[in-house]
Amino acid sequence: MRFKYIILILISLASLAFASESAIFGKDLIPNILAYDKEGSLHLGKWFTLLQSTYFKPIFLGVLLGVPAVFFIHYKIIGPMIFSHDRKKIYVFSVFNRAIHTIAAISFMLLIPTGVVMVFGDFFGGGEFVRINKDIHAISTLLFVISVIPMLMMWFKEMLPTSDDIKWLMILGGYLNKRKDPIPAGKFNAGQKMWFYVCTFGGIIMIATGAIMFFQDFKFDFIASLGLSQIDLLRASAIVHNILGFAVLALFMTHIYMSVFAIKGAIHSILTGYKEEEEVEILHSSFYKKLNKDKKI
Amino acid sequence: MSEMSRMKFYCDEDRCIECFACSVACSEAHELPTGISRRKVITLNEGKESLEYSLSIACMHCTDAPCEQVCPVDCFYIREDGIVLHDKETCIGCGYCLYACPFGAPQFPRDGAFGAKGAMDKCTMCAGGPLETNSSHERHMYGQNRIAEGKVPLCAAVCSTNALLVGDSQRVSQVYRTRVLSRGHNHIATPKAWKSAYGS
Repeated sequence: MRFKYIILILISLASLAFASESAIFGKDLIPNILAYDKEGSLHLGKWFTLLQSTYFKPIFLGVLLGVPAVFFIHYKIIGPMIFSHDRKKIYVFSVFNRAIHTIAAISFMLLIPTGVVMVFGDFFGGGEFVRINKDIHAISTLLFVISVIPMLMMWFKEMLPTSDDIKWLMILGGYLNKRKDPIPAGKFNAGQKMWFYVCTFGGIIMIATGAIMFFQDFKFDFIASLGLSQIDLLRASAIVHNILGFAVLALFMTHIYMSVFAIKGAIHSILTGYKEEEEVEILHSSFYKKLNKDKKI
Repeated sequence: MSEMSRMKFYCDEDRCIECFACSVACSEAHELPTGISRRKVITLNEGKESLEYSLSIACMHCTDAPCEQVCPVDCFYIREDGIVLHDKETCIGCGYCLYACPFGAPQFPRDGAFGAKGAMDKCTMCAGGPLETNSSHERHMYGQNRIAEGKVPLCAAVCSTNALLVGDSQRVSQVYRTRVLSRGHNHIATPKAWKSAYGS
């Protein structure tokens, strides 16, 4: 049912995009020109120009190089956590969980590199290659669209903040030493929760702002009633999309590092559904205690 | 770059009679697809007695062109004479130049995959693009290159009241100043966006 509504929304958006009266080049063009940089306006044209020309690209470059550099140093100095794979395995992710995660994972593996190519479009010389990346970026969004709401719902309860999260953040999840102390965390730790919220709520904002930029020339009476012109909506969308992009890119790389490198074999849990008992006991100690109490192990 | 070689448009708001000749001539000369109009005629303060006036606007070939600053693929280039042009083969149709533009000049034909935005189109001041001058490829992609032929951009050439001025900025402002000195300037509402086009 949900899928049907999404398709309907997309079709209605597409028909708006081809509506005859343009929201940018039509009669709104004059108020838009007059409002540009006028006192009392949002100055979004100036803001967008400044941010895009001077700040966005260097920040993306900093994230793209800085985050892996920090992890490389972490891997070299502290090294990965290695847990026994000989003990029992605990079933943590259902088939539904894994299926939804896989769809989202595929969409992210397409969305993030293609987004980065667009940010550094001049490095790749523009033209056909970057254009294809732009199209893949748009199409792979559909995969994310169908997975984001189920993901939000299936994990929302376990992602709610708890007192463990503060303790987890105070010790940075215990990743700064190699001792196997029990780390305060439920089924998901504070880092995973951060990624979850950026992915779901942030992801929905990414979809919305991206769709606004993709369809570009449409008019929603609701937005117009807020006093926001279509061109300012586009400018605001581009700014928000880029800023959220920093967070998504940084946390995506963190997610990959944690699952593939920092915790040996952690990636298997999302493929098979089973986590190593020792891994749960140490990294998700509150969850482990609860499972013990409920006699689920 | 000397100030003497800076090309500019200026539309004399006291002379424009809203005949749309510039817009029609432009679209016809460059064989623009339907829905794309590089030059538009706008009317300000419409219906307000003695405040109403019309203007012809297109790409203003801004001094510090904001479109050029935000382009992620760097497809813009500014000629020595100040004409702002772009390479359609590099352009990816992202729309950023439109967000930066104070005048709504960049437009996007929806001819990409799945109705995605295609390469941006805007006024070239009839100076074509980066391809070989006056080649059929250049004409097909960017329209006529009248500047290379020593001709005035078509919009200004067909302007029946000579409201639309184009040429070296010093000359344009000289012509306009002479007009204002002899007949006065009847319009006070100058959009702030003009700053971007003509400097402060």
